[in-house]
Amino acid sequence: MAELVSVYDYPSDVAMVVRKLKDRGFTDLTTYSPAPFNDVEDAEDPRPSKVRAFHLIGSLVGVVTGFGIQIWMSMDWPIRIAGKNIAAIPPMWIIGFELQTLFGGILVVVGLAILGGLYPRPLDKHYSPRFSAEEFGIVVRCEDRDAAEVESLMRGHNAKEVKLEAAH
Amino acid sequence: MAPPPASAVADGMNPPARPRDSQANIDIMAVTKGFHWPWLIALVFALSGVALAAATLAWQTYEGLGVAGYQAPVFWGVYIITFVFWIGIGHAGTLISAILFLFRAKWRNAINRGAETMTVFAVLTAALFPLIHIGRLWKFYFLLPYPNQRFLWVNFKSPLLWDVFAVNTYLTISVLFFLVGLIPDIAIARDRAVGWKKIVYTIMAAGWQGTGKQWKAHSRAVLHLSGLATPLVLSVHSIVSWDFAMSIVPGWHATIFAPYFVAGAIFGGFAMVIVVMVPVRRIFRLESYITDYHFENMSRFILFTSIICGYAYGAEYFIAWYSAVEFEQTSFWQRAFGPYWFSAWCMIIFNVAMPQLLWIKKLRTNVPFLFVLCFFINLGMWFERYVIIITSLSREYIPAAWGLYIPSLVEMIVLTGSFCWFSMFFLLYLKMFPIIAISEVKELEIHARDHGRSHGAHAHGGAH
Repeated sequence: MAELVSVYDYPSDVAMVVRKLKDRGFTDLTTYSPAPFNDVEDAEDPRPSKVRAFHLIGSLVGVVTGFGIQIWMSMDWPIRIAGKNIAAIPPMWIIGFELQTLFGGILVVVGLAILGGLYPRPLDKHYSPRFSAEEFGIVVRCEDRDAAEVESLMRGHNAKEVKLEAAH
Repeated sequence: MAPPPASAVADGMNPPARPRDSQANIDIMAVTKGFHWPWLIALVFALSGVALAAATLAWQTYEGLGVAGYQAPVFWGVYIITFVFWIGIGHAGTLISAILFLFRAKWRNAINRGAETMTVFAVLTAALFPLIHIGRLWKFYFLLPYPNQRFLWVNFKSPLLWDVFAVNTYLTISVLFFLVGLIPDIAIARDRAVGWKKIVYTIMAAGWQGTGKQWKAHSRAVLHLSGLATPLVLSVHSIVSWDFAMSIVPGWHATIFAPYFVAGAIFGGFAMVIVVMVPVRRIFRLESYITDYHFENMSRFILFTSIICGYAYGAEYFIAWYSAVEFEQTSFWQRAFGPYWFSAWCMIIFNVAMPQLLWIKKLRTNVPFLFVLCFFINLGMWFERYVIIITSLSREYIPAAWGLYIPSLVEMIVLTGSFCWFSMFFLLYLKMFPIIAISEVKELEIHARDHGRSHGAHAHGGAH
């Protein structure tokens, strides 16, 4: 197996190279960007992010918890206040809404941590501080026999540098 | 010409001893490095104020709330006023970060981090005041739905309890939003730090490398948090307003309170962003990032929300007169011409009259003028809450229950201490983390460069 690391100045070049690589079947790749660029992200993986599923689950759990604790606690020690029902629903919307937001927000961040692999760990061997400056990187893992084709494609799209490494 | 083989350029891939860095990284991270006298002097002042307020608070806790100037019939004083004030200040950050993000207002990129930072520390400051106000700090858990030894639960029909949930939710979501936005910038700091700072940044950056997968999840998370934070920010100050509006105290029982409070919060919050960012920009030489254009846009928001506040003030007076309810009419007459006339006129002059100067473009782009104006707006917003709380409580239904409230020295020291507490956190933040969202600024710069290149190539191709 070979690993090719290339460096670019422009996100449009990165998006183009990624699309072409994937068209030719080189799907085992990683991009590095100094800032968010939808084109690059979508070229690498066009599927919608699963963060939304975390949001939905968190919000549903939150709203159910919000209403649940209020109904249960009101019934557990019933005190009639201002002539309202013991478990009056309209004022419960407020805490229901707040807990929906709270749980939804927490689960969104949990989703980000899981999907983005955000936990303290060693950085990839090809990661460079250049990628948190202004440059972009693409790492492609391919068969040795395909390295020349990948390299040619990268250079054909304004790669500033291309480095070939043997992968294990 | 055939490209050189990959091995020929392998050496070029090794990170140089001093990697080529972007100007945004250098300029913005420079704030965290080096020594700045104004910063140190401000920090010493802030720490002194916090120490004095902490000692005063300890004395109040020992002596009881009697030293706070509370006296019948006014038992909500400076502490509740200051709570509402700081919650309001905390609104601008979420508005700039979340609402302007959803509206794709790209100009926010230079100021959103400063505003978010301010929001987190403002809400942190606000959250102290209900605890200070209850006097017996160790009883704070009575606010929570906790199965205490009497097997009683909290009253879910009380707006005060809604406030507990709203403020804590807002604090949590603001902190999460702030931290999520900060992660890519902490990675930038990590890549350029040495020693103990590198260890701290490495832990906080949580393995961020800017991969496509990480950016995709990050962008989605920011979008979803914005979607959550937008109604939240509107709900929080609405619920704070219901602390008042759900009661039957003259001057409080008004349906306009929720939008009135939200507009006032955004108004005061933007004013505080300007008060904070003007010296930061000047001391740390960030003029090329936070430009007059940003201040002009913020001053437009201030003008707009000032008009809404002015409308709300007018509507309150009109409804008091039009309702023909004697108690309401008396309450509002007392506001303007009673013993607290000074606070009411400060409110009207600072919050409605003075901001009208912002119709003049030259003044909207005059940064020293904006700084002074926004200082007075913050003063006016504090007085607004003073007017609402004190004038209404001191003049309720029967003259036998009327009284006069004068803030005590203890309250004024704690109030001053709250500004020092907020400033202390903000100043410490400045020396640890970037005050401008570097990756968002770079997103704009790189986009512009990429677009310029494509446009140039297209024009060049067209010419041939």
